[in-house]
Amino acid sequence: MDSALQRAADLLAQARLPVFGGLFTDVNGATAALALAQKLGGVIDHAASDGTCRAARVMRETGSTPASFGEVRNRADTVVLIGDHPRERDAELLQKLFPGETLPRPGDNKRELIVVGAKKGKVPTGVRTTEIGGKNTLPEVVALLAAATREMPFETRDAALGKKVLSAGKRLRESAFAVFVYDPAELEEPVLHTVLETVRHLVKTTRAATLSLSAPGNGEGVNLCSIWTCGLPVRTSFAGDVPENNMWAFEAERLLKSGEADALVWIDALDGAEAPPPTRAFRGIPSVVLSSKPVKAGRDDVVIEVGAAVADHDAEVYLPPISGIGAVKATSADSNKPTVADVLGKIGTLIDEKGAA
Amino acid sequence: MLIQLKGGRVIDPAHNRDAVGDIYLENGRIVEKPDGREPDEVHDVSSKIVMAGAIDVHSHIAGTNVTLGRQLMPELPLIAAAEGQPILPSTAQWGAYATGIRYAEMGYTTVIEPAMIPTHAIQAHKEMASIPIIDVAGLVVLGNDDYTLNLLRKGNVKSDELKDYVAWTLAHSKALGLKVINAGGSEAFKFNARTFDLDEEVPEYGVTSRGIVEAMQQVVADLGVPHPPHVHTNNLGIAGNVETAVATLEATQGHPIHLAHIQFYGYGKEGDKGFSSGAPALMEAINKHKNATVDVGQVLFGQTVTISGDVLRQFDGRRAANPKKWVINQAEGNGTGVVPYNYKKKSFVNALQWAIGLEIFLLAEDLWRVLFSTDHPNGALFTRYPEIFHLLMDRDERARWFDSLPEASRQVSGLAGISRELTLSELAIITRAAPAKVLGMTDRGHLAPGAVADVAVYTEQKNKTKMFAAADLVFKSGKVVVRKGNVVNISWGRCFHVDPGFDRQIEKRVHSFYDTYYGADPRWFGVTETFSDRPDRFATIRCAR
Repeated sequence: MDSALQRAADLLAQARLPVFGGLFTDVNGATAALALAQKLGGVIDHAASDGTCRAARVMRETGSTPASFGEVRNRADTVVLIGDHPRERDAELLQKLFPGETLPRPGDNKRELIVVGAKKGKVPTGVRTTEIGGKNTLPEVVALLAAATREMPFETRDAALGKKVLSAGKRLRESAFAVFVYDPAELEEPVLHTVLETVRHLVKTTRAATLSLSAPGNGEGVNLCSIWTCGLPVRTSFAGDVPENNMWAFEAERLLKSGEADALVWIDALDGAEAPPPTRAFRGIPSVVLSSKPVKAGRDDVVIEVGAAVADHDAEVYLPPISGIGAVKATSADSNKPTVADVLGKIGTLIDEKGAA
Repeated sequence: MLIQLKGGRVIDPAHNRDAVGDIYLENGRIVEKPDGREPDEVHDVSSKIVMAGAIDVHSHIAGTNVTLGRQLMPELPLIAAAEGQPILPSTAQWGAYATGIRYAEMGYTTVIEPAMIPTHAIQAHKEMASIPIIDVAGLVVLGNDDYTLNLLRKGNVKSDELKDYVAWTLAHSKALGLKVINAGGSEAFKFNARTFDLDEEVPEYGVTSRGIVEAMQQVVADLGVPHPPHVHTNNLGIAGNVETAVATLEATQGHPIHLAHIQFYGYGKEGDKGFSSGAPALMEAINKHKNATVDVGQVLFGQTVTISGDVLRQFDGRRAANPKKWVINQAEGNGTGVVPYNYKKKSFVNALQWAIGLEIFLLAEDLWRVLFSTDHPNGALFTRYPEIFHLLMDRDERARWFDSLPEASRQVSGLAGISRELTLSELAIITRAAPAKVLGMTDRGHLAPGAVADVAVYTEQKNKTKMFAAADLVFKSGKVVVRKGNVVNISWGRCFHVDPGFDRQIEKRVHSFYDTYYGADPRWFGVTETFSDRPDRFATIRCAR
């Protein structure tokens, strides 16, 4: 272990632009990765950051209108489910969003579901459901629904669809609390803007919001940690005098492909999730791999086995039911594997000692 | 190690001290001058001003809401720096680390985050633990949450269940005290109310805002929590709201209450523009209600971002967003509104807000009850405190600012008629001694033996902005952390909280509530002693009962 740590420190101390990727880790792991990236002038990115980054950019441009999972579950009278991802991410999502018992909610409407740009599939019993899709693409149907909600004229050759869209628009205007549920990784930015604009239109007369699914691999927790640490989300570089965020320039995959990054710290240490490695990972780029799973790394790479957060050690991670970071007890009580935070902290100390020597 | 601060002018209003003398520090505490022992380290501070480390009673420095603000406005430090505000043009300046550094450089050693969300206490504490040097504490927000409202609906306001629930929440989130933000207003917003007054009823629950605040005051008193309920009243920011603030004070029935950032409730509706200073009426009420303390929430001109759990108010305020983007986050309890704002010197309303805040300080009969704050970042960034100290201590500086305000604002403001200048002792009251007293943090805010060795040393200058922007020396728990305005040593502070007892039955009830309605386990958001790997991170402030 000690020699692996020393080799990792040597490898990283020589790097010009190390990229910290994967980042499937808990908040303590993210804190340690950010600290080391700051020390080394590196870049941080998360392996499931596509959606987070898109949502972050849209938010920075125009704001956002989130609702917590609990508020949606208890108080939404109309849930608009956009795309396939939300149910792929959580097969029980609709059961959770339509529980048997709720807190007092606004209005007298019966609760309804509108599925947009996806098949209706299995829905909770007793919940009136409309499917809006047909042969149109998801951006098209979202745009149609947005127009119908604003009572703007729109054209579609599919008369049945047109009728459904008009009726859904009316329902949204008459809702006491309409919520649009989506995964930002599935929606392009213009679609995200359209959804937000629709919410902003609705709130002039009623209550409306969005429920954006959090990224897998504690993506939201890592992102929040990055923001409170340096004021910026993931895909941030610490190579200059001040931190710089760029969704394109500081994507781990691109940095590895272009050869701009000359070292990789790959972190994959979360129970129940596996970070999809970049296509160029471990191919000719010196790497330090912290993983709780078996890894096929290069011969000269440094691989350090760590505990899986939540399974092997207590962890603070983003928990969708509370729409925030929570603390989870380890499922296995007797693990003595080191944590990501331990390992990165020690590597940082070794680099400091090397610098001082 | 015995440290001597030798020959400074010691300003310690808690002990009526303003005289040249020595201060001794040992083992992190202030000590008596020891007999027959020479100090191991002497700092010659002759001709300098020596005060206790400053304490900020209300500054949004951590947690979900603040980080939502950072997400919306990463460019805030860049815009502020370009305007000439004292902040470096880097997004990181708004991060946790820079917060501790900058506070310490100004001589602050304790800061209170006033709006911890119960279900997001873990994030608030993670962020606070990333802030170096200063000690911290959080106030936890209740009063718009369905659990509380459901208890109050049942009409058993005085039953022990509410007391147990509040005690459990304080302990579970490791909070120093209770915050109530627009009691019932955020919940009413969820039922599509867009205004909410003191005597309006929360839909479905039937309890009034007044009823919620009264119940919370009773509970906090019964629990013996030193800090009274920290209340953000209804109708913030609205012309004529001084009536609401006065009515809230009248309703206190002698129970202690702390009203936050009262400048934002100091508005009358007189004059052609229907907006006037309510400061005289407000201060008359505050001067009269001896159980009430307040912090001011002073406004300064320039770019900032407003972050508040008063989601109803922020929703209304979204129209004034500058830059034009905003966040309304609808969540358990209060939710959050984030609205960027630029206070303009040329604006009639903004200029008057600026003047009203100063009037409030300067009309206070008892500064022990009128504490300093800007409601950072809502009124102004905390990095600008020295400018406000200057305005309070120097009427020429005040006049210089006042003369550049719009004619219409000057005509209706009483500020020009006030010649009062705060003394160093008075400044030490509103930034040290009084916050410590109101928070129940008896070991700080003063310089008597036994106090924690948090000390700030300044060079006296006519220009108070310069004087307070950079302390000569700052000791945190007896160690030098700042020299000549720069941090020279990174240390990590402690987090203070109360731990009132409660009947363990409440845990089962709360567990069942979260399980049924949220599919969540309250243990997920409980802050435990093992939360931090720093062994002495948490410290308990004793409750009276």
